[in-house]
Amino acid sequence: MPGIEFSHVVMRYDNGTEALRDVNVVIPEGSMLFLSGHSGAGKSTFLRLVLRLESLTRGRILINDVDISRLARRRIPAYRRHLGVVFQDHQLLPMRTVYDNVALPLRVARVREREIGRRVRAALSSVELLDKDRVLPGALSAGERQRVGIARAVVNRPKVLLADEPTGNLDPALSESVMSLFRIFRSLGATVIVASHDTGLISGMGERIVELADGRLVGDSAA
Amino acid sequence: MTMDTQRGRTDPRTARRPKEVWPAASGALRSVWLERARVAGESIAYVGQRWPTTVVVWLLIGAALALPAALYLVESNLSRAAGEWQGRPGFSVYFEPGLDASVSTGLAARLRAEPDVSGVRLITPEQALAELRGQTGLRDAVEVFDGLERNPLPVTIRATLALGSSPDRLLAIAESAGMQAGVAEVVIEKTWLERLAAIRDVIRRIAVIVAALLGVSAVLISAASVRLAIAARLAEREVLALVGADARFIRRPFLYLGFLYGIGGAVVAAALLAAALMALEAPLTRLFASYGVDLHLSGFDPMFLGVLLGCGAVLGALGARLAAAQSDRPP
Repeated sequence: MPGIEFSHVVMRYDNGTEALRDVNVVIPEGSMLFLSGHSGAGKSTFLRLVLRLESLTRGRILINDVDISRLARRRIPAYRRHLGVVFQDHQLLPMRTVYDNVALPLRVARVREREIGRRVRAALSSVELLDKDRVLPGALSAGERQRVGIARAVVNRPKVLLADEPTGNLDPALSESVMSLFRIFRSLGATVIVASHDTGLISGMGERIVELADGRLVGDSAA
Repeated sequence: MTMDTQRGRTDPRTARRPKEVWPAASGALRSVWLERARVAGESIAYVGQRWPTTVVVWLLIGAALALPAALYLVESNLSRAAGEWQGRPGFSVYFEPGLDASVSTGLAARLRAEPDVSGVRLITPEQALAELRGQTGLRDAVEVFDGLERNPLPVTIRATLALGSSPDRLLAIAESAGMQAGVAEVVIEKTWLERLAAIRDVIRRIAVIVAALLGVSAVLISAASVRLAIAARLAEREVLALVGADARFIRRPFLYLGFLYGIGGAVVAAALLAAALMALEAPLTRLFASYGVDLHLSGFDPMFLGVLLGCGAVLGALGARLAAAQSDRPP
């Protein structure tokens, strides 16, 4: 089945810390999944493995029936162009305008400038920041910066959208609007994985929740 | 693909690496060039924003390029001077004292008839003494000669070879003249030429060594400067890697930066050389004129400047590539 499949995944860092221990989970294509758990439970490692920022120690991760842990290094950039990532700390480039930050994945993918302009405006419009396109990130509030990060993550129409504590710095109202955005992208066909320790927020979303604790999968609402 | 699904291990003997997860989207060619132009513009802006650092880097690279370039100019001008001198080598025939004038005039006439001889000058002892009197620093010698009963200077013939005549022909004619009765000595005027050639050879070798050493220095200066720029934009590199930029895309601004450092350094080197040439041309021309060589410094032409700029650009970009290679590993 196309989608994301973690099969007996073990991830041990060089310092001996075992971040994931024999994790098995299947995430169907076009679905939404919340990863919950305390700090250090392995949520970020889960996302970093999908991003190929880390190489797993054992097991395999199949995406679209391809074992991404075995992708050659030179093929990783092309693979990442199909992913969208949202970070808690936004990871925006301070010296580039909102427009240029959002346009970054498209420029990397060598999309035509006219198409870039169209897609960036659409992405900024979806997060209600179209009027801030010429502003530097430093002039935005935390919530606005987070929305710019989301616009950048979705501008290239990713197959998989990953979000690591995307509501960490946001107030409850803004957090819910961000989650609603993720639902919209899911409805457009993207597979969405959100790591969050805000159990109050995610339990009210009515979506599948996978709980990690000390690197082990300890709960799956779909099970 | 052979896979042990129970333990999740892959057999490396039979496993093949997968090609791609999703079909790759092809980029527009025009967009690639626009992106490169945009990155070049950003690199120029980066250089402009940090102009004090940039000026220091340009001066360092400029100084490193100027010395080998200067040695090249010196060597090429010496070669040209030697070439001009070499074009009219000659020899002097000294006759035995008290010889009948018809012997020397006869040899002079025979030499004038040689197609490879462009000029023959017969110098009588009186003319030789008059020439000595005209030269400063030889006053004591002239006074000694004046004290003698008769002029001891011999009759001399100075012959100059025609342009393009070979050194072998010079030797043959000089040897033939030496066999003439009454000739005491024939001196072929090539010592100065040999010294010049030796000096030129030494300068050429030094230039090669200095160019190699300072070329490496220019690369290292560029690498160190670009490494600082990479460190300052580490976060940007990480973000670019996360959104799928490949190593070439990530390193491109830094390569352009190294290129700009190199080009700027070459311009500084050219300016230094121009200033040095302006300061040295007049005294050097006088010095060479005293050796009978009509020297006009040359070589500082558009071709030379093009090569200098090219070398600067290549060395700068090479340094940038070196710096980028150390941090190419994508996160």
